[in-house]
Amino acid sequence: MRVLAPGTTGPVATLRAMLLLLPCAALALALPEVPHWAVVAGVVVSSAVWARTPDHAAGVVSLVLVAGWWASRGVVDWRVLVVAVLLLVAHVCATLASYGPPTMAVDRRLARLWFSRALLALVPVPVAWLAVRGLDPELAPSWLWLATGAVVVVLLLATARVTRTDQA
Amino acid sequence: MTTWRPTPALVRACLLALGGVCAGVVLGQEVLVVVAAPFVVLAVMGLAGRPRQSVRVTARIDHHRLHEGQGTTSRLDVDDLTGVEHVTRTAAATAHVVTDPAYGATGALIGDGLPTIGFSPRRWGRRAIGAERVALTSAWAGWQWGPFDLPEHGLTVLPQTAPYDSRAEVPQPDGLVGRHRSRRLGSGTDFEGIRAFATGDRLKRINWPVSLRTGELHVITTRAEQDAGVWLVVDGLRDIGASGGIDGAASSLDLTVRAAAALAEHHVRVGDRVGLLVVAADGSRVRLGSGPRHLHRLQGTLARIRTDARSVAPERLDLGAGAGSVVHVLSPMLFTPLVTATASLQRSGASVVVIDTLGEAMTGDRGRLELPSLAARMQRIERDDRLRHLAAAGTPVVPWRGPGTLDTVLHQLARRAQVPRVRA
Repeated sequence: MRVLAPGTTGPVATLRAMLLLLPCAALALALPEVPHWAVVAGVVVSSAVWARTPDHAAGVVSLVLVAGWWASRGVVDWRVLVVAVLLLVAHVCATLASYGPPTMAVDRRLARLWFSRALLALVPVPVAWLAVRGLDPELAPSWLWLATGAVVVVLLLATARVTRTDQA
Repeated sequence: MTTWRPTPALVRACLLALGGVCAGVVLGQEVLVVVAAPFVVLAVMGLAGRPRQSVRVTARIDHHRLHEGQGTTSRLDVDDLTGVEHVTRTAAATAHVVTDPAYGATGALIGDGLPTIGFSPRRWGRRAIGAERVALTSAWAGWQWGPFDLPEHGLTVLPQTAPYDSRAEVPQPDGLVGRHRSRRLGSGTDFEGIRAFATGDRLKRINWPVSLRTGELHVITTRAEQDAGVWLVVDGLRDIGASGGIDGAASSLDLTVRAAAALAEHHVRVGDRVGLLVVAADGSRVRLGSGPRHLHRLQGTLARIRTDARSVAPERLDLGAGAGSVVHVLSPMLFTPLVTATASLQRSGASVVVIDTLGEAMTGDRGRLELPSLAARMQRIERDDRLRHLAAAGTPVVPWRGPGTLDTVLHQLARRAQVPRVRA
């Protein structure tokens, strides 16, 4: 059985390889702690299916398994930030690969556009990370939530302006 | 009816955003909130970019009639691009047609213009190109229109006119005007000789130097210039060998059709009247004619030739050709009835030349003792024997070699035509 269809371009093959590797890498960040074998098997299999068919619902399974396992640990450390980045990059890779058949070359301008969008989507991550790490919901004043929301919106707008391209 | 539907990417982002935030809040799992945060942005932006309008997409190609190796472009027309960010096109693969980009898949952002697909037919005939799938995607890959199928376009691919030129004259020109030197004396420009003046000669044809030297009036005689009737008989009964288009190996029918196109173009260019008879299951016949429009008609008829396993060779070739016509029979000569019909044509008084178009089609590189190889060799030996008999009966046989293929043969036929005939 052929892994890649005839005529698959190099960038598309790279994107698909990343669909397989990134969720596995997000799980491997927990080493030396090893997840349950069922979780590992589920992530590998669903990621493989996702890499073969970027439009497949297996992508959701792969991402949910990784996010769920990290949530089950209950530790909000720096690695959670990396996991969020890896899962987002995997999602963007799948989106880029699903614009057309594997024989279609990846448009560089489209890739640049999605790179800037990924940066924009990452803006709320450090804010949320800081919020869940540094704040006690019971002690925090009520205006803090409003201020946090406003800061996120401002950061989103600023990032959108900085990363804006001609097509955006 | 196609509508805007959410893409798998939007569905994935929505599920992760909703699931992560809700599970994080309800179950108190902060990690899920952090991981789901970027997907909230993607989901919101994707949902917000939903186009509302109905879109009508059509495609057109720049040309509907091409020669082998030429190219045309398929262009997309979209009536309303509001909210559309990206267009993807994937053309269906067609035999003997190459696409640009390779594999026929292309996509582009709307800001760069709608993507085009180039098609280049590599073999003559009728081709259907342009069958494709098109998908439109909204901003942030949120919504997709399609993919839906667009119909194909018919394309007539005319045979490539192989470079051909000949300086030989047609043996028996029979028309009124043209570029060939006639056998008859007349008012042309081609010098024939000088003879004594006779009653009725034009005064302007008197050659004064000779007249003064000899003391008697002498006139210059010239040859009239006439066109010729040239018939092309094309054997479309079988196609031997695999065709690789203009870039690869040529089958016997490729050689036949391309040689016929080259001969037709050459003779029309020099002002001859050219007719065409296609010997095939759905054979056709084009009467003698001249001029560029007639050449297009000939090429179009050649492009429509199709072989059919049920087709049988005719017993006789009914051209209605007079004794002055020249008939080029382009064939690999694999059928005895066609050989017999050609010999009959020769006996009827036409100048017949057989152009062998088998080429390298039956020289396979399989083992010499394998059954298909043996059968092919036997068939070739029989064919060569038929051609020898045909040549012995007075019909020249020449393999197609491109420019100058017919020069020697036509010179010989012209000399033969000038010899007085004595009929029993």
